[in-house]
Amino acid sequence: MKQLRTALLLLTCSLILISCADVRAWERGYLARDEMTWDPDPLESALNDHIFFSKEASSGGNSAAGGGCGCN
Amino acid sequence: MGSFCEIQLFAQSRIDAKRILSQLTEEVARLEKKYSRFRSDSFLTEINRSAGHRRGIEIDNETQSLLDHAKNCYETSDGLFDVTAAALSQIWDFKNAQIPTQAQIDAAQTTLGFHKISWADSRLRIPPDMQIDFGGIVKEYAADSVARLARNLGVNHGLVNLGGDFSVIGAQPDNRPWSTGIIAPDREQDIMAKIDLSQGGLASSGDYERFFMHEGKRYSHILNPITGWPCAGLRAVSVAANLCTVAGSVATMAMLKDESGAKRWLLDSGLPHVYMDSKETVGGTGVNATH
Amino acid sequence: MKNSASANIIALSSTALALPGIALADAPPTQSTVSYKLSNYQEDDLPRSELPFGKLERYDIDVQQFQLVAPMGRNMSVHVDANYESLSGASPWFTTLGLDGKPVVNLSGASGISDNRSELSAGTRYYLDNGSFAGNIGYSEENDYRAVYFGLNGERHYNNDLTTLAGGFSYSSDDIFPTDAALFNRVREEDKQSSSVFVSLTQIINQVSSFQTALSFTEQSGFLSDPYKLRDVRPEDKTQIAWSNSYRRFFVAANAAMHVNYRFYHDDFGISSHTGDFSWHQNLGRQFEIVPQLRYYSQSAADFFSNVDNFLNPLSEYQSSDYRLSAFGAVSGGFSLIADMGSWKATLTAERYLANDKYSAYDVSQPSTALVKYNRLSLGVDFSF
Repeated sequence: MKQLRTALLLLTCSLILISCADVRAWERGYLARDEMTWDPDPLESALNDHIFFSKEASSGGNSAAGGGCGCN
Repeated sequence: MGSFCEIQLFAQSRIDAKRILSQLTEEVARLEKKYSRFRSDSFLTEINRSAGHRRGIEIDNETQSLLDHAKNCYETSDGLFDVTAAALSQIWDFKNAQIPTQAQIDAAQTTLGFHKISWADSRLRIPPDMQIDFGGIVKEYAADSVARLARNLGVNHGLVNLGGDFSVIGAQPDNRPWSTGIIAPDREQDIMAKIDLSQGGLASSGDYERFFMHEGKRYSHILNPITGWPCAGLRAVSVAANLCTVAGSVATMAMLKDESGAKRWLLDSGLPHVYMDSKETVGGTGVNATH
Repeated sequence: MKNSASANIIALSSTALALPGIALADAPPTQSTVSYKLSNYQEDDLPRSELPFGKLERYDIDVQQFQLVAPMGRNMSVHVDANYESLSGASPWFTTLGLDGKPVVNLSGASGISDNRSELSAGTRYYLDNGSFAGNIGYSEENDYRAVYFGLNGERHYNNDLTTLAGGFSYSSDDIFPTDAALFNRVREEDKQSSSVFVSLTQIINQVSSFQTALSFTEQSGFLSDPYKLRDVRPEDKTQIAWSNSYRRFFVAANAAMHVNYRFYHDDFGISSHTGDFSWHQNLGRQFEIVPQLRYYSQSAADFFSNVDNFLNPLSEYQSSDYRLSAFGAVSGGFSLIADMGSWKATLTAERYLANDKYSAYDVSQPSTALVKYNRLSLGVDFSF
C-alpha cells in the first residue's frame, strides 16, 4: 500500500505540474493527426491487452474492463 | 448561396477528392437550405414566420450558437451589427434608388433590436414583425465549417471560397500560402490588393453589387440599424483572421462605422486588412502582408 | 500570424469557436470502416531442464479480429466486434522438484489441449456538443468458459475542449465449467463476477502534446483459481487498482509522433507491477509509416505463490505455482509497418516477448519455471467507405 500512496502522490503532483498553453481550435492540427490519437489502432491495442492479460497478472488501464476469458 | 463558390483541395487520389468534395458540397447545401433568407422552406424563414408567437420556436444547438455569436457582435459593435434588423432592408429599394419616408423608417426601426429577443430555454421568442438575417455570419461560418470538415476527412492542403469568403484547409502542398486577390468595388477586373493566407480565413464586405447615389453621396446596401439609413463609410473592406467567421464579423462592423471610426476599429483589431475609402484610396495593414 | 489580436477579437473568436461546424468537440466518424486482423503467436518450447518428460511444445494461438464502425445519423456511431481465437498446445499442470533440486514443471494435455474462443460485442456512442456517452454489450464463449459483459462510459470536454473528463463502469459475469472434470477430479461448475470503474483526465498541453491520466478499480469475486492446476487455491475476492498515464508528442521537423505510457498496478493478492512502453510513429512520405515499439513489464509475486507445489499443504490454504503469480520481468519489442492508400490501409506487425525472473524490478525469492517467450506476427487491413 506504500507504493499506492506514492503513486497517488505522484498523480497529484503531475496534475499540478501541467501548465497548459491556451491551444485554440485552429491550432490543433497536429493533435488531430491519426498517429497522435490515444488509440491509433484499436484492434492492435485490444489484441495486446488480451495477450498480456493472459501472460501477466496485471490488467486495467484507461478504460473499464471487458469480459473475462478462460486464459487467465 | 447565390454566389460563386469554389473548393480547391489536394487528396491522395481523384476518387478520394470526388468523395470528399461531395461531402463538402453537401455541408454548404445544408447550411444554405437552413439559413437562407431567400428560401421559403428554410429554417430561418420559419423562425421569421414565428415572429410574435408567444411560445416562440424551438431552435437547435447550431442556431443557438449562431445567436450567441450574433449577440457577441451586437455587443462588441454597440448595437451596429444587429442580425434582427432585416426588416429595414425591405423598405430600402436599391434598384430604383428610392428613399423611404421617415415614417416608414421609424416604423421599421420599432421592429428591430437584438436586446428584444431571448432563447434561454432553447426556444427563441422574437417580437412581431421582426426579421432576422444572418448575413455577415452564416456564409463565413459555412466556409469555416467546410474547411474543418475537409481537415477531418484527412485533407491537409486546400482552400474554400464561398463567394469571396475564404477559409484555409491547409497551405498549398509545397507549404506556400494561398494568394487571394481582393477585387475593387465596381471594377471586376481590378485587383486592389492581395492577401496571402496559410491558415485561418478572409472575409470581405462592401458595396460590390448594390448601392445608390443620393445628393452626391454614395450609399451602400449595408444599413445602420441605429439611424435606419444606409452606411456611407468605407466602400469595401477585407479582413484576415484566425477564422473566416471572425473576419466576416470584423469586416461587417467596419462597414457599419463611419470612415474614421472604421479605420480606427480595423487598426485596433490587430488583424491584417485592406480597405477602400470614399475617395477610392486603398489602405490597411494587409496590403503587403502575409498572413 | 502575429499575436496582436485585440481583446475584442479574442472575444469574437470565443463565440465563433463554439459554433458546431468549427468546434473541435467530438464528432461521430464521417465514414464507415471495416477492419480485419489476423495474428499468430507461438510460445517458445520449454527448455528440457524445466520439463523432464513429454513434449516441449506450448501454446500456438491464432487470433482473428473483425470490426465494423459506422456513423448513424449526425450524432451517433455504432460498432460491432467479432473475435475468433483458436489455440492448441499444452499448459503447466503442476510443478515438482527435479533431480537436481530445482523446480520442474509438468504440462497438462499429453495429447495437447485444443480450444476455441468466440467473442461478439456491439456498442454505440452518442455525441453531444461537449462530450459523448457510450454503451456496449458482449458475449464470449469457449468450451469451458463463458462470459457475458456490458459497459457504460461517458466523457465531457471543459475549458474550450482543452480538458476532457471521462468515466465509466463495466460488469462481467463469467461461468467456468472445466473439461474432463470427473476424470481429473476438477471442479464441475463455478462462476465469478467482475465490476470495474474508471475515471480519466485528458489535457492538451500545447499545439503538439497532450497528456492523459486514468485510475481504474476492479473488484472480482467468485472462483478465481485455475481449475486445471492440481494445487491452485486462491482467495474468492480480489481488488485491483491501476493507474495509467499516457503522453503524446508530435515532432514537426521529424514528422513523427512519440507515445509514452506508464502504468502502476496493485492488487490484494499482493502483486504490484510497473509497465512502461514507448513507440515512435515515423511517417515516411505521405503513405507509409513505421512504428518501432518497446515495452518493459515487471511484477512482484502473489503472497501465496510457491514455485514448487507442496502436496502436503492442506487445500484449505491459499497456494499456487502459476508462473503468472510469480515475480518476473518481461521485455518485448517489435515494429509495425503501415501503408495508407486512402480508403485502404494495411498494417504488418512483428513482436518478440521475453519473460525472465532476471528482468524483474522486484525481489525474486522464488523464481518460477515456465515463464513465456513468444513471437507474434499480425496482418491487419482497414477499408473505409
